[in-house]
Amino acid sequence: MQGAPSPGWLIVRQSASFVLRERTVALLSLMFVVLVLISAWLGWSATSTVNRIYLDAAAFLKSAGQPVPTNPVLDISPLSLMRNMSVYVALIGALSAIVIGNRLVGLDRKAGVLPLIGIRPLGRDAYAAGKIAALIGLILALGAVAGVVAVATFLVLPAITLTGLQWAQLAGFMAVTTLYMGIFGLIGLAAGAAARSETVGLLVPVTLWLTLTFILPQLTANLNPTAAINPISALAIPPDTSFFHWAAIVLGPVSLADAYKFASAGLLDYLPQGIASPSFIPPVITLVLATGVAAAFAWRALTRLSMTEGEYNV
Amino acid sequence: MSEPMIRLNRLTQSFDGVTVVDALSMDIEQGEIFGFLGHNGAGKTTTIQMLTTLARPASGTATVAGYDICNEPLEVRRRIGYVPENVRLYDTLTAAENLVFFARLSGVDAPARRVREVLELLDCTYLADKRVGGFSKGMRQRVGLAQAILHGPAVLFLDEPTSGLDPMGIKMLRDLVMRLNTEFGMTIFMNTHLISEIAKTCTSIAVLSHGKLVYHDRIEAVTARYGDDAALEELYLSLTPVGRLAEVA
Repeated sequence: MQGAPSPGWLIVRQSASFVLRERTVALLSLMFVVLVLISAWLGWSATSTVNRIYLDAAAFLKSAGQPVPTNPVLDISPLSLMRNMSVYVALIGALSAIVIGNRLVGLDRKAGVLPLIGIRPLGRDAYAAGKIAALIGLILALGAVAGVVAVATFLVLPAITLTGLQWAQLAGFMAVTTLYMGIFGLIGLAAGAAARSETVGLLVPVTLWLTLTFILPQLTANLNPTAAINPISALAIPPDTSFFHWAAIVLGPVSLADAYKFASAGLLDYLPQGIASPSFIPPVITLVLATGVAAAFAWRALTRLSMTEGEYNV
Repeated sequence: MSEPMIRLNRLTQSFDGVTVVDALSMDIEQGEIFGFLGHNGAGKTTTIQMLTTLARPASGTATVAGYDICNEPLEVRRRIGYVPENVRLYDTLTAAENLVFFARLSGVDAPARRVREVLELLDCTYLADKRVGGFSKGMRQRVGLAQAILHGPAVLFLDEPTSGLDPMGIKMLRDLVMRLNTEFGMTIFMNTHLISEIAKTCTSIAVLSHGKLVYHDRIEAVTARYGDDAALEELYLSLTPVGRLAEVA
């Protein structure tokens, strides 16, 4: 038995490989990767176009003997060219994470194999830990894809060189991005384990995601849904009324999409002057706390999952 | 005298205030094929769920292979196999892939080799590379039996193993159970409501009615007293509510 993998590790491996075979998961993950590439391309394209125009203009001005202004590309932080990624993560990244979390436990429940797993020498806590570890692995993989795309984008842009601090900020952004997707993955996992039916298990986290992404920003910052999918207009100052004042206090700490966007804007240097998160809790702290709460719910739902009645009611 | 393989001591289960298994006490010796009879809803499956550690009893205790089901569930699970009434597997995987997964979870060394051995033992190697999704009830039952014996358990729990099988399937399963008992010394705990199966297979029987144990004896004693299958059926009916209703009518 020496060197044999632990049952918990087997759950991690099996769950991850099952989920990756799921067509829905594969499609959503592919869509996420494509959108991440598009966001990088948009940033690269805008920057390189401005740079090319500047170089042409500079050559013309120089030949005309006129003074050459500084390159506008260098006036803004190069990190900001990744700003579209924060929108795609909040939309498709979070949705992908929900589906991954849901399927991790949903596949066992749908297959009806819980009794056969339940009679193996495997504690309920090992089963729960295995599922959560599988989720963490898959979300880290999604985050790593986004990270590789971001790093590659900066490496291929000749006009841009990141400082050590900016590389650290980029790493921080990728960490926050992974954390944000992890929250939704844990919510998907918790709902997948706790719900009586497969439909409810998916509907509850998706409704929560819609609420956090499109409804709460309206209440905390008077932000219409179309503005919420733009990285700059999503960072709005709420109207100076008592309603928005109290909405920020009450709903600010749970407005996770807002927290993610403000954390991203801070890390990628595109937060406009004079604009701050409406919540009294710093955005990154909000995300860390939300991860803890979502993990606690997922753990509770998984360890309480009945191995005799865990099959979905159809 | 050695300790029995399965010992139930006032084992009780209740759901929402309704007692479904009521202070069940009995011993099942090593090497027995035990038939657990009872009407639908008598509490047979609930009893198996408690003995296999899938559900915790409301009160009472039980030991399986010498280990307490509440305090030492992992030790119990290392020594048992379980075939549910409806065997459910990962439909998108082949039989061999399903079995390798369960073998690994049971801590079996060289799981692929062991899966081949078990499929050969059950005479169903032809199922190995087929996806489970297209399997008939009988095929599933065979793979279900395979997953239950991969790790060579001391006790095998079968919940209505012949339910939904055709006569050929029933005979095949009966032969397999007998073989596992005689060749490998497995103690078999079998829930059933087929009296003919009890007479042909079991070494001892018990009858459960509304969660209460109403009869428990060795099969020789039963057949000596009641004779053939028809008499056994009469015994069963006299102990269950259906039989009592018939008497009243």
